[in-house]
Amino acid sequence: MTNTTSYRAIRIEPYEPRRLPVMLNYLYLLAIMIVIAAILTAAMVMQYAMGELPCPLCLLQRAAMFGVCFGIMVQFRHGFSYQNTGLSLLFSIFLLIVSVRQTLLDIYPRPGHEYIGSAVFGLHLPVWSVLIALALLIAFAVKLAVLGGKDMLGARVADYPFISKIATVLSLYVILLALINLVSVVLQCGFGECHTFGYALLNQLRS
Amino acid sequence: MMVAVFASLSLALLVCWFGSRFLAVLCILVCFALSASLFLWEVYSPEYGFRMPWIQTRYIDNPPTAEKSFVYYLVPQMNGDWA
Repeated sequence: MTNTTSYRAIRIEPYEPRRLPVMLNYLYLLAIMIVIAAILTAAMVMQYAMGELPCPLCLLQRAAMFGVCFGIMVQFRHGFSYQNTGLSLLFSIFLLIVSVRQTLLDIYPRPGHEYIGSAVFGLHLPVWSVLIALALLIAFAVKLAVLGGKDMLGARVADYPFISKIATVLSLYVILLALINLVSVVLQCGFGECHTFGYALLNQLRS
Repeated sequence: MMVAVFASLSLALLVCWFGSRFLAVLCILVCFALSASLFLWEVYSPEYGFRMPWIQTRYIDNPPTAEKSFVYYLVPQMNGDWA
């Protein structure tokens, strides 16, 4: 008795990503990054123009927003991966945890503990951070639910020259903001504990 | 510590754009670990630990309303105690 099993060659077609969902995905990510860059810029304007020094938890919230931007920047530079979306989500959750804790820390005003800085549209900045973190989590959830990621696999932002240019400019701007923040943190905190009394390193150099 | 957080963050962003993805992800994970530990250190109090005793957790039989809000300040037991 002979084995008569025959094998048939199957030709696997390479998956061609559809252009519209890919473009929408990139535009969506760009919009998220523009909003975060605007928030970080506003925070820096409040720091330098209005003299409102950020507290340690406020600085951690800024770092978390930069982390969200990092996840998006990797998508633009090195292509789509669920890992990158995961990193953005991780930092969004971190932003939520830090801002909720800070909101609860100062929710009951008492000596040494009250919301510092001026309110924007009636809300203090930690409360705004809670809303921003929630908005980011919802934005990523909606993106994954509606646009998914199948079409993004193998897609390159370089195939969309206009989006690519905006992404490059925006990414370089975010890098510049991060570097300004680094210098600012060095001046404010030195290499020790952070305080909101003033720029510790500048005061040390003056005295 | 905060300087280390922002230094690793800036490095991650720079390496992400101008270098390899692997190194960038490594830097951002270092940044995340530093940020998380700094956050825990910042919110830890030797007196309360991680608890927040200023938040009302006691059961209030008769919660204050707008009409009788002055009672809230007059009756001490309704103000609650440190949890």
